[in-house]
Amino acid sequence: MSTATRETVAGRVGDSAVRPDAALKVRGEFAYSSDLFADDMLWGATLRSPHPHARIRSIDVTAALTLPGVYAALTHADVPGENRYGLDHRDQPVLAEDVVRYQGEPVAVVAADHPETARRALDRIAVDYQVLDPVVDAELAMAEGAPVLHPECPGGNVLRHVRIRRGDPEATAEVVVTGEYRVGMQDQAFLGPESGLAVPAEDGGVDLHVATQWLHVDQSQVAHALGLPPEKVRLTLAGVGGAFGAREDLSMQVHACLLALRTRRPVKMVYGREESFFGHVHRHPALLRYEHGADRHGRLVSVRAEIVLDGGAYASSTPAVVANAATLGIGPYQVPNVRMDCWGVYTNNPPCGAMRGFGAVQACFAYESQMDKLAERLGMDPVELRIRNAMREGSTMPTGQVVDSAAPVAELLRRVRDKPLPPPADPTDPRDLPGGVANTTRGDGVVRGVGYGVGIKNVAFSEGFDDYSTARVRLEVLGGEPVVSVHTAAVEVGQGLVTVQQQIARTELGIARVTVLPADTGVGSAGSSSASRQSYVTGGAVKAACERVRDTLCALAATRLGREVGLVDGKLVTADGAVAASIADVLGDEVIERTVEWRHRPTFPLDPLTGQGNAHTQYAFAAHRAVVDVDVELGLVKVVELACAQDVGRAINPQAVLGQIHGGSAQGLGLAVMEEIQVVDGTVRNPSFTDYLIPTIVDMPPMVVDVLELADPHAPYGLRGVGEPPTISSTPAIVAAIRAATGRALTRVPVRPDDIALAGSASRPVPSRPEVPCD
Amino acid sequence: MIPFDYQRAEDTRSAVATVTARPGAAFLGAGTNLVDHLKLGVAAPDLLVDVSHLPFDMIEPLAGGGVRIGATVRNSDLAVDPVIRQRYPMVSAALLSGASGQLRNVATTAGNLMQRTRCPYFQDVTTPCNKRRPGSGCSALEGYHRDHAILGASRHCVAVHPSDLAVALTALGAVVQVEGVKGARSIPIIDLYRLPDDAPQHDTVLEHGELITAVDLPALPMATRSTYRKVRDRASYAFALVSVAAAVDVERGTVRDVRVALGGVAHKPWRARRAEEALRGAPATDDAFRAAAEAELAGARPLRDNAFKVPMARNTIVATLRELTRREEP
Amino acid sequence: MRVNVEVNGEQRTEDNVWEGESLLSLLRDRLGLPGAKNACEQGECGSCTVYLDGVPVCACLVAAGQAEGRSVRTVEGLADGDALHPVQQAFVEAGAVQCGFCTPGLLVATHDLLSRVSHPSDGEIREALAGNLCRCTGYEHILDAVRLAATRGGGRRDQEWRSPDRAGRPGAGAPRDTGDPECER
Repeated sequence: MSTATRETVAGRVGDSAVRPDAALKVRGEFAYSSDLFADDMLWGATLRSPHPHARIRSIDVTAALTLPGVYAALTHADVPGENRYGLDHRDQPVLAEDVVRYQGEPVAVVAADHPETARRALDRIAVDYQVLDPVVDAELAMAEGAPVLHPECPGGNVLRHVRIRRGDPEATAEVVVTGEYRVGMQDQAFLGPESGLAVPAEDGGVDLHVATQWLHVDQSQVAHALGLPPEKVRLTLAGVGGAFGAREDLSMQVHACLLALRTRRPVKMVYGREESFFGHVHRHPALLRYEHGADRHGRLVSVRAEIVLDGGAYASSTPAVVANAATLGIGPYQVPNVRMDCWGVYTNNPPCGAMRGFGAVQACFAYESQMDKLAERLGMDPVELRIRNAMREGSTMPTGQVVDSAAPVAELLRRVRDKPLPPPADPTDPRDLPGGVANTTRGDGVVRGVGYGVGIKNVAFSEGFDDYSTARVRLEVLGGEPVVSVHTAAVEVGQGLVTVQQQIARTELGIARVTVLPADTGVGSAGSSSASRQSYVTGGAVKAACERVRDTLCALAATRLGREVGLVDGKLVTADGAVAASIADVLGDEVIERTVEWRHRPTFPLDPLTGQGNAHTQYAFAAHRAVVDVDVELGLVKVVELACAQDVGRAINPQAVLGQIHGGSAQGLGLAVMEEIQVVDGTVRNPSFTDYLIPTIVDMPPMVVDVLELADPHAPYGLRGVGEPPTISSTPAIVAAIRAATGRALTRVPVRPDDIALAGSASRPVPSRPEVPCD
Repeated sequence: MIPFDYQRAEDTRSAVATVTARPGAAFLGAGTNLVDHLKLGVAAPDLLVDVSHLPFDMIEPLAGGGVRIGATVRNSDLAVDPVIRQRYPMVSAALLSGASGQLRNVATTAGNLMQRTRCPYFQDVTTPCNKRRPGSGCSALEGYHRDHAILGASRHCVAVHPSDLAVALTALGAVVQVEGVKGARSIPIIDLYRLPDDAPQHDTVLEHGELITAVDLPALPMATRSTYRKVRDRASYAFALVSVAAAVDVERGTVRDVRVALGGVAHKPWRARRAEEALRGAPATDDAFRAAAEAELAGARPLRDNAFKVPMARNTIVATLRELTRREEP
Repeated sequence: MRVNVEVNGEQRTEDNVWEGESLLSLLRDRLGLPGAKNACEQGECGSCTVYLDGVPVCACLVAAGQAEGRSVRTVEGLADGDALHPVQQAFVEAGAVQCGFCTPGLLVATHDLLSRVSHPSDGEIREALAGNLCRCTGYEHILDAVRLAATRGGGRRDQEWRSPDRAGRPGAGAPRDTGDPECER
């Protein structure tokens, strides 16, 4: 019997455990999907439509196949299964058939012995297009008589309409403010391009190594298109260079598998940055019309809203985004009377789908702009107005769902408001001023502004979706020490999920050595690394599997030791606290392995007429205060500081939680002041990091963060999803601060210099003289 | 990418002879623009002659008080050169407001001047563009043109020149030294660049095979009081919406002499002669600066979506001159 | 064509390099060094930052032929065997690594910064790293990592990697380009 003293292992839940992949990543040895190679490997490439809308009369790949080094050139005719895929419903061809519906739609794929040979082969594929007028305006797409882009869609171009009716939708109020807001198309702009390696297998199947967010949903779509049973399409996660929603849909997965199966050789595909802009969905551009009614004390009486989301050419996850925008669309406020209509619409613009915040981002910009407008109308402090209407535990959502865990909206607002304000900028250091090192100002015309935003997000999948994760936990003794291995299909996209799984296993079993096996489809689905859900759902699955292993171990120990024992800090301990045995003593050569499928509390569909229903399982909240300096002569903005307060229920890994809050806030900053995919007549005009600007380290200000830990009794460890809320509220806070500095209405994001300083003067008539030669 | 050959130039003469003799050949400097264009298919040379290592990497005094900057001096070295910093601070400021440290570490003086426009249609080979494919049309006229020209454009091209350095050199009146098969020649930088007219495929007046070997800065005492301001959509690493290079000589509240050039507004760095004329002898006041800026911009012909550049350029000119003259009189 | 290049202290020769290849694809696809990353291949993101003759550059915009006879150091050449370089260790500890795709480029850029400026201000750090995009971290923990590496003398190691041959060249004796237009005022 062991008499060793008990020690708590490090790296448990609540510790800032170091991520196990960090050392490989800083050495440059972590294998990302674009780093993979195999002997005898071919390179795949994709021919894409240059037109946003066209009929394909013919495709001829003959000339491509005659190029030395080219091994395959495939079109829709070569897709063995059904030539359709899609997350919500399968409306998207793997390779276009008779029509292309967006610029960049894949039309053919080739495999060659060198990436450059593959690109040259693409140039030799002849596609005869009959160019059609693109449908590029979402509101016009909804109108009677608009060309119908998907004849099989029952709603015409309306992919989904969510109606919410609560209280008296026609209620009148003493004070009413209306507004129309627009949100531009944002890109996830992960750094690691879409890529993967498909390897044909002996059994006629294929092994795909790929960067994705959800291995099993890829597997089922790929197998469907290949006409193979799912077990013949095996996926292993390759290193993921960020995701943010953009890897929820398929990109090169089916294409690489098609080429590998056809050539019987491994095929690698890697998108360049430009192709990446066409290779994944984006955040939905939105048009939002709001009418807020309040009494004269600032208590909200009603919100009426119409939101139109441009879903682009294919469904992707638009239906779920529509539900989010609608159900979360009045914000974290108590409102007795709500009328909300939200539409997701097909157009010939780039397909839109999941991006961090998922429908809540667009709505939050609008409803928070409205709250500021209402505060101004009432002569109230904007934070005070928000606090007066703030939702709390027990409040009812416009869907009728009662919020049944902490909802510290007022507290979050108070916390960011009460932070000390940063000192004035140093006018001698241009790095601290709008324009940065471009030396744009010496401080003349620079005005400071402060603004606030607070947002709400659902965690995990909603509306009755069977949302679960699977964990397999194995305990054995190796070299005299107990060792745990955890196997899930949950995708590490950089957020730190592998670390979280380790921490949970250490906490539950008290064992230091925990290995998280590579994620693959050899274990059941973990669901998607999205919707801020993985710590909750896969964390819950790992916890549950560890509990089963622990119960089995304790039962085994009881049999062997002849008395009841528990597992405490990795030792088998009797009821009086004495160490009865070590795990190694009890387990010997035996192995305990348990697999658990774990679900969060069920959710339910929305009533189609009233939008009532307990659609979400958990809500999460964050608030921001933004301090900006604006050069009002030039319209340049310097975000001076961002303060954020967020309730995370329980910080499983405090350092990683901060990382999520910082990174999410930065993406919200990007949407506020610079990020937009420019789509002109259905074509993308800035598919590069030269022209699609994301914040640099110079643009991102210091952050002050408060993390609240108000446990949710329904969630493992009380945790609350972390990833998305900070992306939601930073955008409106920054825009509110710019408004405070400039007095401009600013109803559209991103806010450009043109919108701030020069909007009025730009419209002055410009003399139309002959051109003046320059010299 | 079209297959091409690569040669390291042995010396200037052979490099010039080689490129001149082969219509599809091009010089390769550091490649920060050209390598990108090769990938995009914007440039399709059949031979690249690498001149980045030729011995033009010195900054030397010129008789008469000027300074000669070798064509292969790296942007990062030029930006921190003590003589440049002290005598021509606008050159240093212009360089440091462009690109990133990694690019400045390799980009050369001549390569910077020979950058091509960032017009999205020029860089997208699937669209019409008169600069890339003469006669195919200008997609930007009715397309995306927020970043485009407000001065000196034609219906054939509304692109702008992307270089920051060239704007500062234009304000200074620098002279470009060029080597060709017919010998050497000197071209004032103001004459190096062209307006698009009906031949936007030509950014400059250089003949095929002519190689820039140096840029000469004149002895311009007032340039010690000079600066460069750039307005862009992001605080780091973005091309100019509008930029201003200016030097000013003020005595007792009156402008004795002034140099102003604008970037981001035209197919070439725009020397603001009208503004300069208006300012000489004028009081160093905001009102006079604004009047001068408006005189220059009276000829502006903005496009549908870039009218904001007119007041932006005006405000930037005023703010730049204000900063310089305020510094003049402590 | 044949390219001879010294990489991380080792002389390498590669034949049949295609003229259109970049230094980045030479390193990644031919020399088995995938550490430098291919995120934008336009010099915009800094993920491919490597030292070329002691100066950080974007390997994606250097033609492979231009590396002939020169010396390259990549992220794989920062650690001393099993021991991480202090800059690498600081990135691990500070939580500066999430997806990690930007990390190799940031490490080289930080390594370069600290070898020039042993205790940079926050403004200097921001300027020096402005050519390296990160989409995950919001940069806060990257700043923490650089500060941490500086306190541990992260810049004092391996001075031999500094460019040896710049005497007499422009800028010699002057501070290297820090990006700060005011740095000598």
